[in-house]
Amino acid sequence: MAQVTAVTPVAKMVGSNRVVQGKGIVYPLGDAELDAEEEKDLRRAIVRQALEALGTEV
Amino acid sequence: MKVVHYLNQFFGGLGGEEEAGVGPDTRNEAVGPGRLLEQVLGDDSTVVKTIVCGDNYAAENLEAVMELVVNEVRDSEADLFVAGPCFVAGRYGVAAGALCAAVQAELGIPVVTGMGVENPGVDLYRQELYIVDSGENVADMRNVLTRMAAIAKVTASGEDVGRPAEWGYIPRGIMRDEIVEEPAAVRLANMIVAKTQGQPYETELTQTGFEPIPAPPAVADLSNATVAIVTDGGLVPAGNPDNMPAIASTIWGSYDIATVDNLEGEDYEVYHRGYDNRHVLNDPDRLVPVDVLKELEKAGEVGKVYEQFLSMTGLANPLANSRRIGQEIAENLKSAGVDAVILTST
Amino acid sequence: MKLTLAIHDVSDAKLGSGTSLDGGVLTVDADELQESILQDRRIQSVDIEVANPGQPCRIGVVFDILEPRAKEPGTGTDFPGLLGPMAVAGQGTTHVLRGAALTVVDAQQEPGIASKMMEMHGEAAANSPYGNLHHVVIVPRMIPGTPRHVELNALRLASARAAVFLGSAGIGQAADSTEEFDLDGPSTNRDGLPRIAYIGQIHGHQMVVEEDERILYGSNTEGMVPLTMHPNEWMDGAVVCSYWVMRVESYFYQNHPIIQELYRRHEAGEINFVGTVATVAASLEADRNRNCLLAAHQAKWNLNADGVVLTKYGGGAPHVDMGETARICEALGMKTVVQVSDSSGDRRAESAMLFNYPEVDAIVYGGGGDIGWDAEPVERVIAGSPTAAQELAQMRHIPAQALCGVTNQQGASVVRAVVY
Repeated sequence: MAQVTAVTPVAKMVGSNRVVQGKGIVYPLGDAELDAEEEKDLRRAIVRQALEALGTEV
Repeated sequence: MKVVHYLNQFFGGLGGEEEAGVGPDTRNEAVGPGRLLEQVLGDDSTVVKTIVCGDNYAAENLEAVMELVVNEVRDSEADLFVAGPCFVAGRYGVAAGALCAAVQAELGIPVVTGMGVENPGVDLYRQELYIVDSGENVADMRNVLTRMAAIAKVTASGEDVGRPAEWGYIPRGIMRDEIVEEPAAVRLANMIVAKTQGQPYETELTQTGFEPIPAPPAVADLSNATVAIVTDGGLVPAGNPDNMPAIASTIWGSYDIATVDNLEGEDYEVYHRGYDNRHVLNDPDRLVPVDVLKELEKAGEVGKVYEQFLSMTGLANPLANSRRIGQEIAENLKSAGVDAVILTST
Repeated sequence: MKLTLAIHDVSDAKLGSGTSLDGGVLTVDADELQESILQDRRIQSVDIEVANPGQPCRIGVVFDILEPRAKEPGTGTDFPGLLGPMAVAGQGTTHVLRGAALTVVDAQQEPGIASKMMEMHGEAAANSPYGNLHHVVIVPRMIPGTPRHVELNALRLASARAAVFLGSAGIGQAADSTEEFDLDGPSTNRDGLPRIAYIGQIHGHQMVVEEDERILYGSNTEGMVPLTMHPNEWMDGAVVCSYWVMRVESYFYQNHPIIQELYRRHEAGEINFVGTVATVAASLEADRNRNCLLAAHQAKWNLNADGVVLTKYGGGAPHVDMGETARICEALGMKTVVQVSDSSGDRRAESAMLFNYPEVDAIVYGGGGDIGWDAEPVERVIAGSPTAAQELAQMRHIPAQALCGVTNQQGASVVRAVVY
């Protein structure tokens, strides 16, 4: 499991092993400040990071 | 009060480590520390039975010893069950905790034990039992038994035991609201003055430590893996079919995404009072990234997107509840053949 | 910076002709107050009532409670940046109607788990810090179709305006007593005393602020970085509550229990109270890192603090940011004490904390999760709608968390969750 969250300190506290930085509490995989295409690029990048974490030994 | 007392081979007078394999032996009288226990409990109390058992035997045959002890306590119509004190003897503490918990659960009579805070029995049983903080020094026996007796008497009378520091037991971690004299501002000021001046202070809460979780191995080939999305952000289909609560859900839901390439706000609702839901309602992919994961599936970067996403509300959720939900979700996904999970948290 | 509070004791309040303060009796002319509030054209009408302690009366849903106060003319601005022109708060003389409260009802909110109310009699009232105050209650009603954020902005402005309107009754009157707040006051030698700072959150951005929300000198705190502030600023109108209120009222910014307590210790020669930092909890990780680091470093390098008291705003996410800030403070060599509010639904200590740093080991823990008071239905309810009135009238149990002030996070609460 890879956990995407904007509140990484809590994920680390409880022992989550694959933590990926999310953008914000109100949108872990988005950003309302960006236009639609940029936002989707951001989301893709975060998901790819999560997949990369899943494929990496820790 | 009729009391049944449990001792290990050392305190039962059989000997040290070489006698740790000895099985349980029941005597119809107080033994060793039991005599002191009778004294501190007072005139109307008698130790009617003492069960002495070797630490290794108890560790290796715990179920059987538990059954035997519960039966002995029941047969003797005891009003109180006491185990130890065990100080920092680990196997002794674990057995004493298990026996107290079993007697308490099955017979509903008061139970009490004593251990040093380092004893592994403490972490296992502190939430269920009154465990007097015995320290590690066996010479404190009278003092420790006196505190155990005091707690036993109060619980037997049906009254509440007071604060841990006053009564000398290890905090059980149960919170009770109280109206206190000093408002929080005064308590904060007292504590910061003490802490900056190197004087003692007593925190009102001890933090919770978490055991490391063994990391599962990496997914060898994502292009052949089934990946599921799980969220604790409270996203559910419009109409909230499972009645997901907006705080501390005790349930989780599993929702079909097999035929959609992205999530539309009008099809979903958010039940989570801990964050401003408007941005996720505008585009649920910001929480449950179905759109990009499906694209990556088409591009072959991931084998398959699991046809359901799983959702619950994490807000202010009790730890025990979160653990259970985590367990259930993991089992559900495992049995569905899911290889990897992306968990999104708000 | 020196702030003088001219305290006018209020022992009774009533509606009447001509707003005045006479011998402790506050008379409120409803027409005059209404005229002041209706300057805001977005407000169509406003109900004005008085609720005195001991009367069987309930108020809800409460938007905010303020202490009626007004600046002595020529010595500063009322609620600078929010109501009056920008000025730095915390200086000059402020008239205070001690014993009175301006209580604002949000007519658009129905009673629910997150809403707050006031009970004016019985055991519940005795346990609220607002229970013994004389409440002037306003219920502003907007022109139909007003967007929610505009409505909230109007409520905020009306609350400040009405508090100042009432406080003005003290202008020109001899004060019953005065209080002076001056860190440089009576020239005690404070060398060698522990230097103590306060870092307080004034919002948590997991609740998105509105563009027209007014929190700090009229700003909405979006994009805010931590700000070093003189303690007097908090108490003199620089800060009000956000629209998202959880265990906080503007009354306790004006009468900030922690700032006042640190002042008392300062004047007693026990500590050297060196100042405060206002900060916000973040939604974005980048903001969290920035805010936590800057707040801690300002306490260290601007204020040279030895010890820091930290409080949070709202619930869980701000709890994390407060813990992070405390951790950084400790790493910089400052001792910390933090206040946490109860969020353990199962009443287990293991569920209570959202950080685990061995050095952040001084925790004040507020309760409220399983306390409440039985109550009888009442006939008089001051509410925003008939349904709200009916619901409030019939309450037979008042949970601590629903009653204003009981589980306050600004330091006023006497409810503590004790770990057994």
